[in-house]
Amino acid sequence: MVTIREIRAETPHAKTLVLDVPGWPGHRSGQHVDVRLTAEDGYQAQRSYSIASAPEGADLELTVERIDDGEVSPYLTEDAQAGDQFELRGPIGGYFAWDASSGGPLLLVGGGSGLVPLMAMLRHLRAAGSDVDARLLLSARSIEDVLYRDELDRLAGGTAAVHLTLTRGPAPPGWTGWTRRIDRAMLAAVGPEPDRRPRIYVCGPTPFVEEAARLLVALGHEPTSVHTERFGPTGE
Amino acid sequence: MTTSDLHTDGNELAGLLQEIFVGEITGAERACQSCGARNAVGAHRLYHGAGYVLRCPACGDLAACIATLPRGYAVSLHGTWLVGRAP
Amino acid sequence: MTPPISRGFRGRRRSEVDADRLPPGQYATSDFPVLSAGPTPRTSLADWSFAVGGAIGQARSWTWDEFTALPAETVTVDIHCVTKWSKFDTTWTGVPVDVLLEGTEPWGDFVVAWCDGGYTTNLPIAEVTGGRAWVAYEYGGEPLDAEHGGPARLLVPHLYFWKSAKWIRGLNLSAEDEPGFWENYGYHNYGDPWKEQRYWGD
Repeated sequence: MVTIREIRAETPHAKTLVLDVPGWPGHRSGQHVDVRLTAEDGYQAQRSYSIASAPEGADLELTVERIDDGEVSPYLTEDAQAGDQFELRGPIGGYFAWDASSGGPLLLVGGGSGLVPLMAMLRHLRAAGSDVDARLLLSARSIEDVLYRDELDRLAGGTAAVHLTLTRGPAPPGWTGWTRRIDRAMLAAVGPEPDRRPRIYVCGPTPFVEEAARLLVALGHEPTSVHTERFGPTGE
Repeated sequence: MTTSDLHTDGNELAGLLQEIFVGEITGAERACQSCGARNAVGAHRLYHGAGYVLRCPACGDLAACIATLPRGYAVSLHGTWLVGRAP
Repeated sequence: MTPPISRGFRGRRRSEVDADRLPPGQYATSDFPVLSAGPTPRTSLADWSFAVGGAIGQARSWTWDEFTALPAETVTVDIHCVTKWSKFDTTWTGVPVDVLLEGTEPWGDFVVAWCDGGYTTNLPIAEVTGGRAWVAYEYGGEPLDAEHGGPARLLVPHLYFWKSAKWIRGLNLSAEDEPGFWENYGYHNYGDPWKEQRYWGD
């Protein structure tokens, strides 16, 4: 069982929960946890959340985006307070996980809150002092919805190449990123080329992941190199 | 919403599969009994019905069906699952 | 051992409802969750047909236009899902199964509902006759959404809702009981929510 130590707002719709987890064994970047809430009448709901923090991080952190008609995310982002408790199972996942020791190049493609496990990978990359060629393409509705924006600015041009595309206009003044849904040309521009055999991780809502994976394979990437994690129709 | 929108994928089953099989399974590969395609369990399509239904990402045929019962699980597996040995 | 309570967590918006309308182990909701064993089929009305066959004297089938011209009823019923949510006062319009079986001389005691996408569920014929079941094509006065089973789904509100098969295309009668999809994978063959018949062995 875990206790929320601190809650931090990331965007108007997303919060990071900093957790106290007794006996936490450590994790690999990309892994997730299963969270279970029990109401006073015994009703239970369970959801999976990607770990946002790097394995090297001092604290275990989850970033939760509020889904409008969700059952668990509105509670975690609006009602939960420091001191609240819930059940947690994890860390979990061997398919959608990456270690710096595996090498690269590394291509990360995220849609909305799909950035969370990819951010754990980037944070791990930086903490491990790895010089792997890492590139991130993030699709978000608007600049206000971009998680970890300041941190991404700091990572860009150092740890990783960071590319953003906004899908709902208008873009902020002076915007130099893209302003459309991901497509083949965009992925080709981000690279790297298939013959460099990058490890690729795609995460976000199911339609986004299916489209991105399809485009990556069409560009010539080996299907088994494209690791996918689908959040469902709306990303909960 | 298209037909592809309502599923997630085998990653969501990772925790449950770990309780059932003790080892990590989503990195394991499954060879489909219908179409022969080989895909990681984490890449399969997961539907939420009365219980969990996992389907081949290539042909849509049944890969696994898991119902959570009061005192355990009803697990039906299809195809050939290549599971690593626990260290 | 009771699990730890998460302070303030209530789950889906819950309705206030008479306790005696709620079967054991269920929670009332005002949402309408979408659950499915596979992708949503997309059958056009031009391609759609409904058939009654199998252990029957007179097999029948209808096109969409013929089906929707059959005598239909609008009913308001409570529905109960084995995943523990119940929804009250849901309104459906559809053709009673009694009407579909009229004049067909069925001699099998069991029915399998078969559906686009391959889903099946089985029921004794007594559970779908005598005014207890419909093939519904409207929900809340509107055409039934594909994600909720449209063009048409079976509606058997007195049993757990996995028996109300979505995307139904026909009823096949048989002298023998043939367990359907969920009945083969751990769920109760009969499924009475008032006796909490959720799983094998209940």
